[in-house]
Amino acid sequence: MLAAITVFAAFLVPLFPLSWVFNRLLDSLPMTTARALAVLALPQLGLLLLQYGVAPWALTDPQRRALVALAIFTALFYAFRALSARDLFIWTRLNLSAGLAVIWIAWAMGTAIPVLQILALTWSVPAALLTLLSGALAARLGGSYLGLMGNLVEPLPRLTASIVLTVLALLATPVFPSFFVLFGTAMQLPLSWILPLLLLLPLWGWSCGRLFQDLLFGAYRGEAVEDLSLLSSLMVFLVLSGLLVLGLYGSGGVL
Amino acid sequence: MDFIALGIPLLPLLSALTILAFLRQRKKAAARLSVAALTLAFLLAAFFLGRHLGGSGDVLMQAPGLWGSLWLDPLSLILWTFVSGISLIVHVYSVRYMVEEPGYPRFFAMLDLMTAVILLMVAAGDLITLVVAWFLVGVVLYFLLGHDATRPAAGRYAFWTQITYRVGDLPLWFAALVLIQSYHSVSLPVIFARIGEHPDVQLWGLPVPELCGFLLALAAFARSAQFLLHTWLPYTMDGPTPVSALMHAGIVNAGGFLFNRFAPLFEHAGWALHWAFAVGLVTAVVGSALMLIQNDIKRSLGYSTMGQMGFMVMECGLGAFPLAVFHLIAHGFFKASLFLGSGGVIGEARQRDGVPPDPVYTSVVERRPIKPSRLPWLVAASLTVLVPVIVIGLSHFFVAERLFYEQGVIILLFFGWVTGAQALFAAHKLSQKDPWRLMSGILVSFVIIVVGYTLISHYFGDFLYPDRSESLRLYEVASIQHLSFDLLALLLALIFVGGWMLTFFRESLDWGRRPGGRWYGLYLGIYALLSRELYVADIYQRASQILLHWSRRFNVWLGWC
Repeated sequence: MLAAITVFAAFLVPLFPLSWVFNRLLDSLPMTTARALAVLALPQLGLLLLQYGVAPWALTDPQRRALVALAIFTALFYAFRALSARDLFIWTRLNLSAGLAVIWIAWAMGTAIPVLQILALTWSVPAALLTLLSGALAARLGGSYLGLMGNLVEPLPRLTASIVLTVLALLATPVFPSFFVLFGTAMQLPLSWILPLLLLLPLWGWSCGRLFQDLLFGAYRGEAVEDLSLLSSLMVFLVLSGLLVLGLYGSGGVL
Repeated sequence: MDFIALGIPLLPLLSALTILAFLRQRKKAAARLSVAALTLAFLLAAFFLGRHLGGSGDVLMQAPGLWGSLWLDPLSLILWTFVSGISLIVHVYSVRYMVEEPGYPRFFAMLDLMTAVILLMVAAGDLITLVVAWFLVGVVLYFLLGHDATRPAAGRYAFWTQITYRVGDLPLWFAALVLIQSYHSVSLPVIFARIGEHPDVQLWGLPVPELCGFLLALAAFARSAQFLLHTWLPYTMDGPTPVSALMHAGIVNAGGFLFNRFAPLFEHAGWALHWAFAVGLVTAVVGSALMLIQNDIKRSLGYSTMGQMGFMVMECGLGAFPLAVFHLIAHGFFKASLFLGSGGVIGEARQRDGVPPDPVYTSVVERRPIKPSRLPWLVAASLTVLVPVIVIGLSHFFVAERLFYEQGVIILLFFGWVTGAQALFAAHKLSQKDPWRLMSGILVSFVIIVVGYTLISHYFGDFLYPDRSESLRLYEVASIQHLSFDLLALLLALIFVGGWMLTFFRESLDWGRRPGGRWYGLYLGIYALLSRELYVADIYQRASQILLHWSRRFNVWLGWC
């Protein structure tokens, strides 16, 4: 029973191959708001379930090693797959799956569930924001597929700036909390596991670079469109500022 | 009093935030605020450097939390002054140079942010702060290089830089985590003290300092554009000229900084230093060779920087750590001035080709045979070979005789001799009315430069490493067996003499240039190889295309879920 609950949790806190279901579920939701809520809620539900599943200290050493290996594989595999995604929402959920896989490593190393719930938010919150922003982009340009029209800063400065900052928050850029979660998780791991996990850094750097290339550079040839409202962009800014404060405070940093 | 030093990285940060929040539409105010903040930061940095020169000791400013501490030692104070000084020059230059560009206030905000991050990086007192600042340099640089969003090339080259930096972040992260797990602290002074007490802590059968030495060297190679990780540097010229100046004068020197920051670790990492020497040597040669065939002034300067960075890393590999810092500062100033002047030179050349528009004058000038007037070859050869060795040898002998017993110094003197001889040989080849006057002018300049360089680098070394035994330990650990050293020196001498002979005979016998000649195919092959920049970028591009193909294929198989 405990094992079944733990496996079921892996549908909600994505772990390969069950992560496929998580992504399919997000993709099948019809509305942007529902997707954003699911991005926030599903991992939290998964972690709540995990509380009633197998305890991490009950894992044998081979089981723990296998779980960490699978989690690292999931993270790298999804980050690798995000390289070729040009639709902002697909890109977001693939990278979210990569980030949330790191939560399994922290769980295997004995981190308490309430702490894991906060750690999961460091990826879920920017991913939920990006989901909403991809919806805003689709409403203005007919889709959130990037690369057809470059230099979106020109017609949509607020929306583009919001996307850029949120992408940085999602992909473990200092001093956003995802950076410290990745660093802290790597610090808990045995040294031989650290290097494979750190391969996430160049993959995320590459992914981020490709996205920005499509988003920021080139010539905009579309029609004039209305930018994100000042209030919405202020809300995005406030949420990201909250994440920054969480990063600085939660990491034992300067605050 | 020490808390005022916090203002040095904070001032540009506050300026950046103020511009982004309130001055995005006010160009003049943004530029003024930015320049004022940098001026104040520079003055403060100079004050703290002066205070340290006056006898105050190192200061470790602990943050209330786990990370965020600043370490005010000679290295960070010198680099604070240097970085804020160069950045101030770049700011002042940009006030007029960038005035017609879109996003003028944003440009100043990003320049400020970049300066703040570099200032934080060079003064980081713990590993987490260092990793955070090291990482952020790459992020901010990406946006600075891609300032002109209308040009896809700018974005592409900014991306190359960013991805190389990210690859270089990986070994730094790993080194930081290994050090934290092995020595149970994040504080740099504490870790260095523990390395001194327990240098033999093992990991995977390797001493931890040796392993971390390799990792840190690799991180430094990515930042300082060493061979195979260099492809981003020459192409960053697509960014605005002030950014090129700041990058070539400051950011690219991060490798030399990293070696010096971790000098106490490198005292126990001899093999990592040998590796750095080899990589630096190859980079210096390849960078200089690629520089020679460029026909674009900015890209030529880019490859020149690559060569200089190779030489800087080579100095570290030889144990001459303070010399590397002196080199990076000297190179920073002259490269910044070259970059800031290059825009004007290009504009001038486009407007005026320098030839008076008079057909009679032109025909006279172009057809007038040049009468060669040179020194007798024996005199020139003696001056070329003997003068540099005498000047360099004597200046070092009077400053610090003990250094003659260090292998690293001997190799560097050897390079100094070759460079000096090359400069005199080049002067001899110039046809002049009065060759004696030219040669004596060059000789006087050479003596002044060598004596000045020797004296300054000596006192600079004493300031950076007041404990002379530390400097000597670095030279010692960078040394190799005497027989191997003698063979290496012999090999280098043969290569140089061979190179000179090749140059001489190629010029006098016209080797390789004539189609159908014996060496023509080889000449063309080498030229093609260099003009394609050894195909390194092409190989990376092909590898990335293959990876992207497989990423797409996996996504299709899994229905993008």
